[in-house]
Amino acid sequence: MISLTFYILLHWLIVLAGAPLFLGVIPRVKAVISGRRGPSVFQPYYDLARLFQKKTVYSRTTTWLFRAAPIVALASVLMVSLVVPFCVFKAPIQFTGDILLVAYLLALARFFMIIAALDTGYSMEGMGASREAFFSCLSELTLFMNFITLALLAHNISLSRMIGADIPVSWQMAGPALLMAAGSLFVVLLAENCRLPVDDPDTHLELTMIHEVMILEHGGVDLAYMHYAAGIKMFIFAAILVPILLPWQTGNVLQNWAIFCGGMMGLALLVGVVESTMARFRLNRVKHFLLISFALAFFGFIVALWRI
Amino acid sequence: MEIIFSKIWQVPFGALSLRLDPLSVLFLTAITILFFCAGIYSMGYLRPYQGKKPLVWHVFCYLFLAMMFGVVVTANNVILFLSAWELMSIATYFLIIFHDETPSVRRAGFLYLMATHCGTFCLFLMFFLMAHTAGSMNFDVMAHASFSPVVAGTIFSLALIGFGVKAGFLPFHIWLPHAHPAAPSHISAVLSGVAIKTGIYGICRVLWIMGVLPEWCGYALLLIGVVSGLMGVLYALGQHELKKLLAYHSIENIGIIAIGLGIGMLGRTYHLAFVSALGFAGALLHVLNHALFKGLLFLGAGSVIQKTHTGDLDRLGGLAKIMPYTSVLFLVGALSICGLPLFNGFISEFVIFYGLFQGLLTLPLQGVFSCGVGIVSLALMGALALACFAKVYGTIFLGKPRRTGDSALFQEKERNRALSPVLREATSKWMIVAMAVLAGLCAWIGLAPRNAVRLTFAGGEYLSRGVLMKEDFEKLMAPLSMIIGTVFIFMAVIAVLVLVRKVLLGKGSMPIQDTWACGFAQVSPKFQYTSSSFARPIVELMKKILMFSRQGGKVVGEFPVQAHMISAVKDASEEGMFRPLYIRFIRLSRKLDERRNKYTQMYLMYIFLFLIFLLIWKLR
Repeated sequence: MISLTFYILLHWLIVLAGAPLFLGVIPRVKAVISGRRGPSVFQPYYDLARLFQKKTVYSRTTTWLFRAAPIVALASVLMVSLVVPFCVFKAPIQFTGDILLVAYLLALARFFMIIAALDTGYSMEGMGASREAFFSCLSELTLFMNFITLALLAHNISLSRMIGADIPVSWQMAGPALLMAAGSLFVVLLAENCRLPVDDPDTHLELTMIHEVMILEHGGVDLAYMHYAAGIKMFIFAAILVPILLPWQTGNVLQNWAIFCGGMMGLALLVGVVESTMARFRLNRVKHFLLISFALAFFGFIVALWRI
Repeated sequence: MEIIFSKIWQVPFGALSLRLDPLSVLFLTAITILFFCAGIYSMGYLRPYQGKKPLVWHVFCYLFLAMMFGVVVTANNVILFLSAWELMSIATYFLIIFHDETPSVRRAGFLYLMATHCGTFCLFLMFFLMAHTAGSMNFDVMAHASFSPVVAGTIFSLALIGFGVKAGFLPFHIWLPHAHPAAPSHISAVLSGVAIKTGIYGICRVLWIMGVLPEWCGYALLLIGVVSGLMGVLYALGQHELKKLLAYHSIENIGIIAIGLGIGMLGRTYHLAFVSALGFAGALLHVLNHALFKGLLFLGAGSVIQKTHTGDLDRLGGLAKIMPYTSVLFLVGALSICGLPLFNGFISEFVIFYGLFQGLLTLPLQGVFSCGVGIVSLALMGALALACFAKVYGTIFLGKPRRTGDSALFQEKERNRALSPVLREATSKWMIVAMAVLAGLCAWIGLAPRNAVRLTFAGGEYLSRGVLMKEDFEKLMAPLSMIIGTVFIFMAVIAVLVLVRKVLLGKGSMPIQDTWACGFAQVSPKFQYTSSSFARPIVELMKKILMFSRQGGKVVGEFPVQAHMISAVKDASEEGMFRPLYIRFIRLSRKLDERRNKYTQMYLMYIFLFLIFLLIWKLR
């Protein structure tokens, strides 16, 4: 019991410390590519610290749900992080079917964020909420399709096993399936975390934003919670993707940890490169992008079926 | 495992034979709870109609209906079952047409009556075939008979149509979205919570009687589940009318139940007792859960309608401020129906998902593929339901009132600010108590599912007709108890985060201002996203299937004045299938009508010809 508590706290420590760093690398990469020096990779920490010190202003229209949403969102992603293994740090919570808990806890966070946006009673937030609801339907499809492929390959439905020790064998047995799964999961990572071809985290043109426009009315601690939740969500998705792409396991704990951290940094780099080289899609093209990722995941499923 | 109670009954082929087995116990539980709560609710809800409507007749029909539900799910004899079934349908009709001064209500009631009788026709054929093959009218004798694949397939198809009309499978669901909004809210709750479940009960009973069914039956039921579920939730997204939207959600949930039953049948066909039990148990648990949360949502909708006299989502808004209790209870219902953790919807969806994944790993190839389709569509249904209920909750309870007339309600609230919340809400306490009981049960199954799961797992085991070990139940309970543990940690985390927030914000109240709205000064409630605009991206993507139509809304001229826009989603099976059929039928009967009026002699000749036919047939 005490050791479980210890592992849970350790896991949260990694997530809480690592997520802002992951978010900090991306703008730096973008800045370097465009020939600027850019902000420090530790900038997100400063931003969060600043927000945590601020008071907030609430709208007359809002209810208690507006205040509850950031808390629920952050708590949900913290719970999801307990199901995801971080290389040598095994997931403290793992059981048959824990992937469903991952998907539905993220959905819970999304539900509260959407209704908090609708709570403000203004069109901008409603716009963001509507888009978030729509795009997440499509990315949920891809996510579950990939879960199916991974479950078939690992012959298990626990996340720790699905992205665990069986991955090297699966690469030999059904490499193309895993490649397609990884590709479509990368698209889900971009879409669910509002990265560039889908959403632009930097712009402040309200008409084209999704996530940023939903949290327009939040401020202070609430906004810090929201940003933290978004960062942790991205960190989690990356931590699911990295073991699939870099399945090498050496006997040495430190080497394994280095591979994992390198993979995470590499993924942040990749996101940065994608963001620097691609323009944002027109809003009515985003659905095609997401449906293509679903098609990719579906072909992965077919290949996995064929190879088994 | 089962108790049979028999008495002699002076009806040909009939026997007063009642049975109590895990299946009927489960349905009886759902019926009892929901009838009790809806009854309490109606004490507040019907108060305005005192002296204006024949309430005694209404109450009689209500209690009679409760009794007939009880008989339907416990009958052990075909004649008894069919009699109770018919009486149940008729009692329901009288309850639906409570507001019979409105033409649309009368039409909806008639549509219901027509639909249910068409279904019963198929049931007559089905039971005839069953009794003929088995040589008995009693279910327990039938269960021992063996059916040839062709007969079994025919019986199953007839059951799918006959019970499917009641349950609301696509495309036989068309009566549902008309009858639910027409009925008073406590009746809608009963209709959606248990009346359509009698269709599911019928299918379960047939599955139990027919131990061996052809392989395609499982796939067919799975496919029906997927189609009903997806179309149900898509139609729901396109609705503006609260109760109609909830009715379409019932179709979605029936689809989820059918997916569970389908995977259970597949497991049974391939002799995988655990998969089968999981599928059936998940479906049965969802029957119970749906009765609880859909009952809650319909009762909540009734409170909203009683308060504002409209169910049009695009005219409501901001009700959380004047109806604090209803808004919280409705939120519980919304979270449950979306299958989100903490509440009961997640538990039953988890069991069905578990069954599907288990099937994915153990079934032969075609089964694997179907399970994959089932998983993906269940996930999509979940995401769409979330979008839909975020829309419903956001537009009814949050934001600002969209109608100018509602500001009177809000001013009244401002005046009553000094009063306690109960008096401010001014909803009858009976109504709140009834909803609170249902919400409490939703949370109870969500946080301590062991008892409910045991009840339904027994039902699943009973239906799967397989041999299951005690470990199998524990194999299902192990992940569930992990989930509950996680949920409790989750609540602890929330408590910690609330504390942190409190400490960081410090003492003193936060400044309250108008919505910032990007600095825009004159924000009107009309700027808010409506339910139609919220759902538009999804509806637009599916506009071919949903028969989405849009009129007006064009901005004309340099200084546009006023513009109107109407958008609607039409039901394809109603517009494309039943309406043409109905028109053709009317035309045919007109033609026959013309022929009829001409000669009396023709009738004599018809009788004569029929006599000759009978003679030839008998003499041969």
